[in-house]
Amino acid sequence: MSHGYLFLSGPVGSSGAVVPHHRSSRYFLMALAALVLGFFLTISSAWADGAAGVPNAVPPKGEHEGKNVEQPIEFPHNIHVDVNKINCMYCHTYARRSKVAGIPPTSKCMGCHLVIATDKPRIKKLTEYWEKKEPVRWKKVHDVPDFVHFTHEKHLKRFVFDNEGMSVDKVSEVCAFCHGDVKKMTVAHKVKPLNMGFCARCHEANKGPFDCWKCHK
Amino acid sequence: MSGNDINRRDFLKILGWSGVGVAVAGCDRPTTVTLEEGKEEVVAYLQPEEYVIPGVGVWFASTCQQCPAGCGVHGRVREGRVLKMEGNPDSPINKGKLCQMGQAGVQGHYNPDRLKKPMLRKGGALAEVSWEEALAALEQKVGPASGLAGDRFAWFTGTVSGHQSVLLSAHLAAMGSKNHFIHETINNAVARTVNQDMLGEAMPRYDLPAAKMVLSFGADLVGTGSSPVHFSGEYAKFRTGATRGVLVQVEPKMTLTGGSADLWVAIRPGTEGVLALGIANQLLLGDELKVAGLPENLRTLITAYNLEKVAGITGVTGDRITRIAKLLKERSPSLVLAGASVEGHAHGYQSAAAIMVLNIVLGNVGKTILPSGSSAFPQMEAKAGGTRDLLALADAADKKALDVVFFHGANPVYTAPAALGLTDKLKNIPFKVVFAVHPDETAMNADLVLPILSAHEDWGTHMGVYQPEQKSISIQQPLMERLYPDTKGFGDLLLALLKARQVKEYESFADYYGYLKNAFAALPASVKGDSISDEDFWGKSLQKGVLNIGTVAGTLNPKMVEISFPEFKSDAPDYYLVPSAQLGLWDGRHANLPWLQEAPDQISKVVWNSWVEMHPATAAKLGVKEGDFVKVSSAQGAVEAQVYVYKGIHPQVIAVPMGQGHEEYGRYAKGRGVNPLKILAPVVDAKTGELALYGTRVTVAQSGRREVLVKLMGSETQLGRKMVSTVTASVFNRTEGTKNVT
Repeated sequence: MSHGYLFLSGPVGSSGAVVPHHRSSRYFLMALAALVLGFFLTISSAWADGAAGVPNAVPPKGEHEGKNVEQPIEFPHNIHVDVNKINCMYCHTYARRSKVAGIPPTSKCMGCHLVIATDKPRIKKLTEYWEKKEPVRWKKVHDVPDFVHFTHEKHLKRFVFDNEGMSVDKVSEVCAFCHGDVKKMTVAHKVKPLNMGFCARCHEANKGPFDCWKCHK
Repeated sequence: MSGNDINRRDFLKILGWSGVGVAVAGCDRPTTVTLEEGKEEVVAYLQPEEYVIPGVGVWFASTCQQCPAGCGVHGRVREGRVLKMEGNPDSPINKGKLCQMGQAGVQGHYNPDRLKKPMLRKGGALAEVSWEEALAALEQKVGPASGLAGDRFAWFTGTVSGHQSVLLSAHLAAMGSKNHFIHETINNAVARTVNQDMLGEAMPRYDLPAAKMVLSFGADLVGTGSSPVHFSGEYAKFRTGATRGVLVQVEPKMTLTGGSADLWVAIRPGTEGVLALGIANQLLLGDELKVAGLPENLRTLITAYNLEKVAGITGVTGDRITRIAKLLKERSPSLVLAGASVEGHAHGYQSAAAIMVLNIVLGNVGKTILPSGSSAFPQMEAKAGGTRDLLALADAADKKALDVVFFHGANPVYTAPAALGLTDKLKNIPFKVVFAVHPDETAMNADLVLPILSAHEDWGTHMGVYQPEQKSISIQQPLMERLYPDTKGFGDLLLALLKARQVKEYESFADYYGYLKNAFAALPASVKGDSISDEDFWGKSLQKGVLNIGTVAGTLNPKMVEISFPEFKSDAPDYYLVPSAQLGLWDGRHANLPWLQEAPDQISKVVWNSWVEMHPATAAKLGVKEGDFVKVSSAQGAVEAQVYVYKGIHPQVIAVPMGQGHEEYGRYAKGRGVNPLKILAPVVDAKTGELALYGTRVTVAQSGRREVLVKLMGSETQLGRKMVSTVTASVFNRTEGTKNVT
């Protein structure tokens, strides 16, 4: 896997559906609804672990002391999310469409960084990759074993898009269930165990599917 | 995103160690699977195509290259890797279905033992070299300056079709050579010759659904026939039509098709033609008019083969013969087919011709045997192979008549019987070049090995050896980028060879892709349909994967030929050897695919190994049981394998499956089981010169060793558990009537 595809033709079909664009207006409506119901929800929802506003959800319990992982570029999640308020799904755009969240393609980074902060050393390094047409080889931080079928798409559906009263603006709260408070990190750091007990406790608390083959298939 | 194939495999290796506690061989590589942070890489796309979503598969059309049937396929591609094959519904050949060999194609592509660099023989041994050095060696031996020209040069290939065939022929023309040897061990070459002589067309169309009965003499339609997936579909229609078709299979050893028959009849090998004439005798009994219409020779022959005589020769009882004749009479039109077990004898042509006589007598020609017609592109049609060219190669090499031979898509060193002495004779060919994906026996005996792209990485066009009503060209496009940078496309190499010979027409093409694209643009409007531009047509063609090229109607002209049989003596104390074929390992080309090794044989259920199949009566006579090692010896050699006892085989027959017994071909194939082709007698069909695959006599002796025969399904019976309810024929007849019972 490297530079994308060799093909010159269109595909004959796709095994997965793509979320249609008109959905974004729905997010907006949901966000409005969330505002209206905001007060009511704040008092009625049961919070755990001090997690902020994800309605109809019990965040999973468990901690993990992750290692510091050295990445090719020290990507600052905090600047992007906390300072500039960019939605997680702007870059990890595949999360709502696929089992994997996806590392954004270099072209997406360059969409902004052709003009923004071009004098910074990290951006200079990024531009170097881009000009050499060389993909960035990031180090994997979060992983589950090959015999576990985990899908981001279904979890986002349950906790964000099909979750009444949930605002898509606050999706980072849902991401934080498993990835921790990434908006306060530079490069990602594993702070949740992501083991079977962790998954199972959450499935139990949130009435998720509990058949063996849901995950082990 | 980075969860790649190797990681998964290594992971399973670990599971094998810790979970089951077995010793796993091949701990040659440290594992890379880990959940630990920062160990594995996850590589983002630089600039993905719009339709790419990591984790979501996209399907592309291509063509299966696992056998010469040429089925259309769709390959699921995710993160730039091909993961799963399915049939292409737009292909008139396989109509969206795919067999296990097609499914296993990805294992050939990801095979860890693939050839990754060119190899040149230096001082007796093959050594890895750069492409520059390989091509320089090629130029020196084959280039214009070498002085090589004419019939001292030859191509030796498997079945070829499409634009590769066009370029290959052009290269032969440029070299001034007529020598194109085409070799397939699993073939229908004798039947094709009979068809050509008696119908005027080598590969007519069989309309299975139109037949009310099929009488198959060893034709393994749904197994190792010329188009297994196509005929599986046709067979389903034949069975589920308004009149449920009846299948009667007559053969020495049960094939996959035989396993589905309503009536399975064991026959003494080589006497199928006699049975056909015996059935004709029964059909024509008392029908003087029809008999009078036959040529003198046939009239005498058919009259001579009366019930008693035929029963004596074939070992099929008179009752059975009259019953089959009665069925054929009642169920018209029918279809009578001849397969490998008919063709593979010194009088194979005669037997297949006698079977065609039965079709003509029954009036099937024009009803269930139809003209296949022709297409506007005869140069694209498949050039089907046989074993005659294998003998021809051995002969030419023996006479030192060849200086350079190019090999592609065939593995003659493995498939040639030891009696041919091919490995030694090949030493007389000074420069042997093998274009191959895997390190097979022929490659390891070559002077220059050129690693080519796998079928999933290369471009091409193909026409299946059997074309249904709608003739089509199937397009092969890469399903992913090449895995190894030092491999080259076969079409690209052919183009380079043509350019080296300064063939004008090909000089303007940068690569095979460019050549194909140009060839598509040059197709007539009748093929292009409503495409608005050449680019539009090219895009649509790749998307669909199949081009319907129209069929020009033809006619069949039935004609009788002279038939004569040798005298069939009563059985000698030895046995007939059947080198049985299976839709799986095929002629041995798939022995390096673990899925197909693991998939049990459809009849014996044996996995990962060879076996010696025999009738319970034979086993009792020899005093052996399942699992006993026996030595099967012919005058040409011996093989040793474990006994498997089964009722679906003639008591006078010993079957050893082909496919195993590789001396090379990578870790999954090498040193596993035995190769029955090696002990075949060098008997040929007198008329066509094809190797008589079923014409070898063997003796069987106990080796005294015994081990558990590894197979799926440990028991042949249900042990009284009633998992599948059965009733006896008499009970069924009483309760259900006899209407549907044959």
